[in-house]
Amino acid sequence: MTDAAPIAARGLFKSFGAAPVLRGVDLTVAAGFAALIIGRNGAGKSTLLRILAGLWSPDDGAALLFGEPSAALPPAARRRVGLVTHQSFLYPNLTARENLEFFCALYGVAGAPEQIARWLERVGLAVAADDRVRGFSRGMEQRLTLARALIHRPAALLMDEPFAALDAEGVAMAAALIGEALAGGCAIVLTAHQPLAIAKLEFALYEIVRGRLVARPADGGAEPRGAIDPRQPAA
Amino acid sequence: MRKDLRLELRGGESLVALVALSLLILVVMVFALDPAGGVRDAATAAGALWVALILAGVIGSSRVLLAERDNGCIRALIASPLDRGALYWAKLTAAFIFMAIAEAAAIVLMVLFFNLDFDWRLMRMAPVIALGALGFAALATLLAAITGRVRAGDMLLPLLAIPLFVPALIAGVKASGAALAGAPFAAIAQWLKILVAFDVLFVSAGSLLFEYVIGEE
Repeated sequence: MTDAAPIAARGLFKSFGAAPVLRGVDLTVAAGFAALIIGRNGAGKSTLLRILAGLWSPDDGAALLFGEPSAALPPAARRRVGLVTHQSFLYPNLTARENLEFFCALYGVAGAPEQIARWLERVGLAVAADDRVRGFSRGMEQRLTLARALIHRPAALLMDEPFAALDAEGVAMAAALIGEALAGGCAIVLTAHQPLAIAKLEFALYEIVRGRLVARPADGGAEPRGAIDPRQPAA
Repeated sequence: MRKDLRLELRGGESLVALVALSLLILVVMVFALDPAGGVRDAATAAGALWVALILAGVIGSSRVLLAERDNGCIRALIASPLDRGALYWAKLTAAFIFMAIAEAAAIVLMVLFFNLDFDWRLMRMAPVIALGALGFAALATLLAAITGRVRAGDMLLPLLAIPLFVPALIAGVKASGAALAGAPFAAIAQWLKILVAFDVLFVSAGSLLFEYVIGEE
């Protein structure tokens, strides 16, 4: 796999003070593939994601999106990236529809009114479209966050615990959206505390152990490992 | 910018607080200084008005960026295709509009409390106030991006912004006082030039430096 892959990390190092968090992380995710990164609290999953998104700079190494350094990505490339983090990036005093209008304007989404209506329907928020986000539950915010991150059809998705706060129906909805993005050629990096058993989603599984990214199973890479049996945890 | 104005209109509490504080400042100045009328009133009124302007600027500039930091939206803006220079201009414009609205209310209160008239002298003062609001908004927006990343940043903003703005503040107060007193345009122009020069400095510095200070680290 080359550095023109949508998502790549080369020898990433990151420390906070004297505490090393990432120690030489390498990762490549090609279009149409997904990498699931698991690890205990404080392992560095969110740190890795923020560096990949260009929000933080590594102490050493390179985080690349579409072959360019993520911290210095040109606007055209940034338009192709979707981001889901612990924070929703939603404005509490705007309605769900207004939030999506703003992000559609930011990302130059054509036919925004129709797209917004469609996405609100997809994430189950059509009824609450004109309610302010301030009054939303955490699960409703997460649904709107997914719509915000996907409405501009990104080619690279960085998602920090995308299933957090979602009920069973929400998890199925999110999994369907992620599956559609994968089928559309999107490269995806997700994080979670433990392996996900989501029907019909294929991940390459990695774990951050003492700052290093360990592929599971041992032969690593980012190719799909076959459909994950929802009755069993991923190996 | 439209999003910022919508948020501010929905929030509303900042404008109410500013109008109330402007009223308080003007009342205190009227009773403390006991203006006798005429030219002395104009100078005192101009000074009180600029105190209200600085207060509006500090609050307005910090709020337009606070809305982004409190809910993590600044990260979304940084990660988005939005040019960071354009972000600065949007925040500057929102802060300027916020200050202009607060100043309009303060001017009305000033006229009432200082026994002035709604006449042509206010029109001569308007460009001075507008330039002052622009310069302070430009400076405070840049400094708000810096102080927003540190602990107790809200307290740091006025401590940094006001000393840096003092030369422009002096020029603004002098020009406003001259305008309100009906002085010839030449008397106002000499102070206006200083104000314009600082506006150019602050706007240039803000537009050049904002993208480097708005990041997470």
